[in-house]
Amino acid sequence: MILPYTKDDAPMRKARGIVRNLQQAGWYLPAGILLFLVFVYPVLRTLVLSFLHVNLESGFQPVFAGLSNFGRLVSDTRFYRSMQATLVFVSVSVLLEFVLGLALALALEQLKRSGRFFRTLLLIPWTLPTAIIAILWMWFFNDQYGAVNDLLLRLNVIEAPVAWLAQPRSAMAAIILADVWKAFPFVLIVLVAGIQAIPREMYEALEIDGGTYWHKFRYVTLPHLLPFIFVAVIFRIIQAFAVFDLVFVLTGGGPGGKTETISVYSYYTFLRYMDFGYGSALVLVLAGLLALIGWTLYTLLLRHYEPGR
Amino acid sequence: MLWIAAAFILSLRMPGANPEGALSVLMEPDGTGTWRMLIAQFEKENPDIPIQMVEGPPATNAREDLYAASFLSGKAGFDIVYCDVVWTAKFAAAGWLRDLTDRLSRQDLNDFLPQELEAGSYKGRVYRIPAFTDAGMLYYRKDLVESPPVTFDDLERQAQQLQNRNRWGFLWQGKQYEGLTTVFLEILWGFGGEWIDAKTKQVYLDSREAVKALEFLKKTIGTISPPAVTSYIEEDTRTLFQAGRAVFLRNWPYVWTLVRESPVKDKVAFVPMVHAPGESSAATLGGWGFAVSETSSRVEDAWKFVKFITGTEQMKVMYERMGRIPSRRNLVPAEFVPIIEKARMRPAIPEYAQASDILQRWVSAALTGRPGCEEALKKAAEETRALLGHAK
Repeated sequence: MILPYTKDDAPMRKARGIVRNLQQAGWYLPAGILLFLVFVYPVLRTLVLSFLHVNLESGFQPVFAGLSNFGRLVSDTRFYRSMQATLVFVSVSVLLEFVLGLALALALEQLKRSGRFFRTLLLIPWTLPTAIIAILWMWFFNDQYGAVNDLLLRLNVIEAPVAWLAQPRSAMAAIILADVWKAFPFVLIVLVAGIQAIPREMYEALEIDGGTYWHKFRYVTLPHLLPFIFVAVIFRIIQAFAVFDLVFVLTGGGPGGKTETISVYSYYTFLRYMDFGYGSALVLVLAGLLALIGWTLYTLLLRHYEPGR
Repeated sequence: MLWIAAAFILSLRMPGANPEGALSVLMEPDGTGTWRMLIAQFEKENPDIPIQMVEGPPATNAREDLYAASFLSGKAGFDIVYCDVVWTAKFAAAGWLRDLTDRLSRQDLNDFLPQELEAGSYKGRVYRIPAFTDAGMLYYRKDLVESPPVTFDDLERQAQQLQNRNRWGFLWQGKQYEGLTTVFLEILWGFGGEWIDAKTKQVYLDSREAVKALEFLKKTIGTISPPAVTSYIEEDTRTLFQAGRAVFLRNWPYVWTLVRESPVKDKVAFVPMVHAPGESSAATLGGWGFAVSETSSRVEDAWKFVKFITGTEQMKVMYERMGRIPSRRNLVPAEFVPIIEKARMRPAIPEYAQASDILQRWVSAALTGRPGCEEALKKAAEETRALLGHAK
């Protein structure tokens, strides 16, 4: 029997709607499963692990731990030290990357055709694997035959070779320098894209009103660039917080544990000490802190931002 | 998307993806080709047991982590474990190694160096069969040094006298890593001190001897050792020494083979590490052996290989081609006997990695910065006690 086509076909439409929704859901399914496997599941598992003792002592059998992993964290001086090292690394390197990236983005904008050439050239460090860059810098910083000492000696900046990786402060400086070299091109590229998206008329209008270069930067470039700055900086902060390969290769966390970042510490806790409960607690705290920083930065930079204003 | 999914699925199958039934083992990079040669020999004698050797990274702790990751993933990654002395306790405690005690013949038990056998044991059971042994020692330039030093004072004085603008007095490994632990222990033992008693779990790091040992090391920096010594590992010091840039070098036996093909080839000799008056020399025991993975489905075949590779003839080949000192008593070359006799074990405890990290961090901190030697060692002792008390 064929249903007559009447005005009152709401149930049918509803049914068709459900089918369509199901169909749409089906399209999302493969991506959803993949996302669940590589994102949701690990996060949940880390959360569960942080409330358990799973270590050599327990024979890797889960034993309920309550909040004791977090309690241990509160009194763990190594955790505070690694946090401190991480914060120093993140703040100094991201700041330098931002300043350098912004300055060069503005400079490249002044160049007409050669700008593209230099942009490509500057992007090269960003494309190289970090572990390889770390080994490269290890050679650069070698006290006997390293390029850094050679250059500084020739320029008469230093009198005797400096043992860069042998002292806590200079070792941290070396790690930061290597990171800035690798990562500032990322900031640069994001900001160049942002600058190019700014309508030229705005500058022309300002010129007619007699605005200086500073005025253009302050009242046109910077406000328009805010969302791009946010994206570049937040990406860099997240990546810098998780810095592992540079530290692991250049210093292993030394000398005296002064360059050990939180991700290096959690790596040791997981794979060398095989303490999965405590390692998970460490990672969770790191994730929480990152969320907090992201939210703070968002409120500071973007809450009042309205495009086109 | 599909590509990512495919890569993901493939990566699940990766560890131990060996060609039809080969036994797999993770080894160091086979620079000399000796391991390949020995394996080929084994396969010729046992055509039904192919061996797949995976050449891992040269850094020991990186391979330790790879083994740990493979065992933790649950599936049988490797059938045979090429195992450092300091992993044995941890791996055995984790239940990853098969108890091989009853498979050893009485002759083997007598033949292997006792300290190597002990280093391969955990709670009285043997898990790792020793293949070659290692011990720290003091190389010196015999064209410069008239009579080799015996005490710490001798070493310091001679180094001071013989060093010049182009040549440092004394090289050792001072980066914060396992090598620093081995160097510090030799000095500590040379002063008559002790680190951890593996049986009672007593910690002696805040003793007077320990402070003296650390003070000795700290004093060398910038006086007889280069300021960068706190960033050096074995190879940094070896290359400097081989280039004629130092009088004394603390290192392992492998240097002996290499130094004889270097610019200083006829000018080098070695003695056991120096010690304090009234005490005796000590060497940190290193060394590698083979173990059978608990998860392997072919224990008998794996044991056959372990027995083969730790055999007398194979050890001779390892010595000739790689300069590795055999771990069977009667095979140790005469010149190395005085060194090997002094070799002492690092504590065989499951928490070894943590304990060593605590020691490295505080020793390195005292060497490169503010905390005084006494304060640093007190902190290290406290942390170690907390660790061992906590993990009883």
